[in-house]
Amino acid sequence: MKVSIDWLGDHIDLSDYNDDEISDLLTFSGIEVEGIIKYPDKVIVAKITEIEKHPDADKLQVCQVADGGKTLRQIVCGATNFSIGDKVPLALPGASVMDNFVIKEAKLRGVESRGMLCSQAELGGLDGDGLWILPSEYEIGTSLNKIYPTVFDLEITPNRPDCLSHVGVARELAAVCKKSLKNHNNQENTSNPLIKTNEENIKIEDNQLCSLYTLRRIENVKIEPSPQWLQSKLESIGLRPINNVVDITNYVMMEMGQPLHAFDSEKITGDIKVRKANKEETFKALDGNEYKLQPEDLVISDENEALALAGIMGGANSGVTDKTKEVFIESAHFNQSAIRKSSKKLGLSSDSSYRFERGVDPAQVVKASEMAAQLIKDLAGGKIFDEVITCGTYDFPPRSIQMHLEKCKKILGFNLEKDKMTEILGNLGIIALSHEDGITDWSIPSFRNDLTRPEDLYEEVARILGIEKIPSIQRGWFSKPSDADKLHDFVGHFSDKLSSIGFHETRSLKLISESQISDCICSSNKKAVGLKNPLSDDLTHLRPGLIASLLRIAERNIHQGTETLRLYETGTVFTRGKEIEERQNIGLLISGPQNRSWLNKKPQAADFFDLSGVLERLIGESILLSPSESKGENTVISCEIILKDTIIGKAAQLSPARSRRMDANFPIYTAELDLAIIMEKISTMDRFTELPKFPSIRRDISMELPLDITNNKIISTLNNINSDILKSFELFDYFHDESGEKLNNEKKSLAYSLTYRSDERTLKSEEVDKAHNEVLKELKKNLDVNFR
Amino acid sequence: MLEQLQIISKEATSEISKANSLDELNNLRVSYLGKKGRLTLEASKMKDLSKEERPMAGKNLNETRASITRNLDEKINALQLLEDNKQDQSLDTTLPSDPIISNGRHPVSQMLDESIKALRRMGFSLASGPEIETEWHCFDALNTPKDHPARNETDTFYFEDGRLLRTHTSTVQIRTMGKCNPPVRIIAPGAAYRRDEIDATHLSQFNQLEGLYVDRDVSLADLKGTLEYLLQSIFGMNTPIRFRPHFFPFTEPSFEIDILLEVEGKKSKWIEIAGCGMVDPDVFNEICKARGDDYYSPDKVSGFAFGLGLERLAMIKWGISDIRLLIENDVRFLKQFS
Repeated sequence: MKVSIDWLGDHIDLSDYNDDEISDLLTFSGIEVEGIIKYPDKVIVAKITEIEKHPDADKLQVCQVADGGKTLRQIVCGATNFSIGDKVPLALPGASVMDNFVIKEAKLRGVESRGMLCSQAELGGLDGDGLWILPSEYEIGTSLNKIYPTVFDLEITPNRPDCLSHVGVARELAAVCKKSLKNHNNQENTSNPLIKTNEENIKIEDNQLCSLYTLRRIENVKIEPSPQWLQSKLESIGLRPINNVVDITNYVMMEMGQPLHAFDSEKITGDIKVRKANKEETFKALDGNEYKLQPEDLVISDENEALALAGIMGGANSGVTDKTKEVFIESAHFNQSAIRKSSKKLGLSSDSSYRFERGVDPAQVVKASEMAAQLIKDLAGGKIFDEVITCGTYDFPPRSIQMHLEKCKKILGFNLEKDKMTEILGNLGIIALSHEDGITDWSIPSFRNDLTRPEDLYEEVARILGIEKIPSIQRGWFSKPSDADKLHDFVGHFSDKLSSIGFHETRSLKLISESQISDCICSSNKKAVGLKNPLSDDLTHLRPGLIASLLRIAERNIHQGTETLRLYETGTVFTRGKEIEERQNIGLLISGPQNRSWLNKKPQAADFFDLSGVLERLIGESILLSPSESKGENTVISCEIILKDTIIGKAAQLSPARSRRMDANFPIYTAELDLAIIMEKISTMDRFTELPKFPSIRRDISMELPLDITNNKIISTLNNINSDILKSFELFDYFHDESGEKLNNEKKSLAYSLTYRSDERTLKSEEVDKAHNEVLKELKKNLDVNFR
Repeated sequence: MLEQLQIISKEATSEISKANSLDELNNLRVSYLGKKGRLTLEASKMKDLSKEERPMAGKNLNETRASITRNLDEKINALQLLEDNKQDQSLDTTLPSDPIISNGRHPVSQMLDESIKALRRMGFSLASGPEIETEWHCFDALNTPKDHPARNETDTFYFEDGRLLRTHTSTVQIRTMGKCNPPVRIIAPGAAYRRDEIDATHLSQFNQLEGLYVDRDVSLADLKGTLEYLLQSIFGMNTPIRFRPHFFPFTEPSFEIDILLEVEGKKSKWIEIAGCGMVDPDVFNEICKARGDDYYSPDKVSGFAFGLGLERLAMIKWGISDIRLLIENDVRFLKQFS
């Protein structure tokens, strides 16, 4: 909401504060200042006296303007929405417009220009279409910021509808800077004894939806443009002046927060009814659109048709026009949620609905009407009828809240004196009615519909007291570590390991497109969870695995020319089984050479064994990569990752076809692991192993064997050999010749080095030979191997 | 023999001084001191000497051996030093290194880690909850009005079964109070989702860090102390921090926290960084109703809650102006944080 500092000055003396100080006062009372609109210096009112076409540019015009100086000033201008005699804002050389663009004298296509004619937007206002045509009364040469004083753009939180007016904001400022309002009249706004009422001509169908409806009749009005002071007041806060009566209703709304509406009484036939819309009823609103209404929409109607959508907008046919002679001023109190629902459903909102749906002070309905009527009499002539036509209740019982002083102190953590509290709340119009046993009964002003519980009063005290007065306490007790702590630390541990071997951590959106699901090549369950209301086609499902995100990132980086990809991401994956399941996974992607440098010009591209190396480094013990039964889409190699007989994840090489679609020059390897399962299965070292006291003896085995005998089979066989002195073994050579020249291409050659050692004595060569022969025999017996 | 030793010593000294390479010196060592070296041969003559002559000859023999050995060693050392210096001089130390590659964590993770470290020092432990949530956990239990705009399908992602993607991590407050008795002192990092178009300042999914502390007599002063400590741990102990009154349905009183950001050459600016407040009694009442007990009755406990946007923290800390950089994961961007 826009608030003019000048206008606030009608209600509170702010002369001893500058704009920044006022901004701070508002900020610390809880009203966020989103912007300060201040027209720049050196921008003045100028009058166009001549317009010519620019000799060298079709889109430019050369103008002569009167700026209050002795001679005319020549300005080149691109706008076309003006004519001779118009008054427009002129930024003089040295003026700073549009976020620090400083105007200078210049030649535009060869023609001298000594300043700039501005649109409202160029000066920080709203309207950007063409030059800002100023009212003709403005004196040439006047500084624009004298005419339009500083305006604050405020964000009023939804709990504070009472601040949606100048009086409301002034009230708040008065409380924080301990000043009194000019014409302070909080206490007398509950009723107005002067008003005579006539309830015969209005009927309210449902007083839950409208508790009070009033009309004030004024005859012999003369509709014309508002006087200058009113126009510039409205313009300064971004409202367009229309005519005196409409401007007055808007002015009163911005002044007091009570939305009003003016009807042309000649266009009303018979009695007024506040009723629910009929089925299929349509309504043509002031904005020119026709709306289809439903029975939950509330309308104001006469005998024939709906005249207004209650609290939202007037009708096109019953509004005030130049020809209007007699008006009805409507001031009413409508139900918050009814207005909100209608406004939302119809997609129609207005300054009026904005206030009603947040809550309007019911006690000021009549007062606002009175103020508008007096202004109309003053500015548009006319005679006010004494009688106010009303229906509903004026009876708003006073509310109070009981608050325990000690509880308030405890919540604030501050030892607040009772007198201080009385002062703080008193400045907000909250008055102590009685005090007993440490409990005070506080009366709540009618405009503060947000205050209903003691906690709401604690907030008022904290807000006005200022949080800087509250001490900072640093205390607490020990917390038990949780499963979430363990997972966090575990992920941190993995991250450290991966960082140290050159991996980047990535973080991506968990929403992916349907077509990306098949990119989750390391997920066994690809039943992704789809959104009911996605925002766009590329974010429709929650990812069932992490590889889709990593591939997308890889593709992006490949297109940026990156060769070395070492990426990992941890995070939630979502799958649909019987139930929707959320699990925490880690995904890895490696591709391309590790590290190209002047010392190593042709590093090898990452291969499958780099991937398994990373996995082993991560898990810290030996894992088995066992080929999957089905290869799956988009993969050329696919394996289960097995740790101690449990599948902990999947590893895969992306299919060349899919890689090509990413423009990848190197094969891409990926793996995805389930963190919860690993955490459960991974071993922690709880005792160290003594260093060997006796020397070991090595024996090598070199063998030829068919391609289908895997390393794993040999290892299993070796592991099953019952020998006290065979301590470890390790592959040291692998050979396979696809051409078959050096070795039959249906065979491969493997060489292992076996380490023998005893913990009790130094082994003799003969003992080792004997044990080694046993090993050879076992291998031969179990597997189709030939030793070389 | 003594004469002979003198000759050997002299010749050895001369030959050693003439030698120019380690190979030559090694050959000399063999030719004088080796098994068949001249000195060794001379020593074998000891047995032919008389008992009286022997001590004198032995002494001389040892001295000669020691002197040749010393000469050899000195010369070798000298040559090696010469060689060493040559090596040092030929190295262009300004050539680029052979880098040892070590990369690092995503800036958002680094922010998260720093926050968690600070909060753990204060005794908070971690908690978590599902990202696919019920409307009750996300809105009802957090005192959000039935017709609040955040519940609209235009603002929040829903599933066919009526569940939704949580719009804030405050759901973990509800989850935690649902299953743990007070006191609780938890932080919950995690993803939250809003149905926003992605642009320079918005993501449809972002990361938050939620905090909750419920106990007897937790006050606004505790909230202030905790958050000041946290933010100063992240941004520096001298960073100015301010609390502005604000409004959230689930806290009362509520505040937004700003830090004063100073960028060289620019006017320093207050930047909003977190929301916080004292847990609204209606949230406690809802928890009591759901639990069927009064452990969390607002008459017995009070508490504070806060929420930080981690992307925002990272953007402020490192001056990142486009939030999309944080989800694009361009290696050239990530490298800067390793």
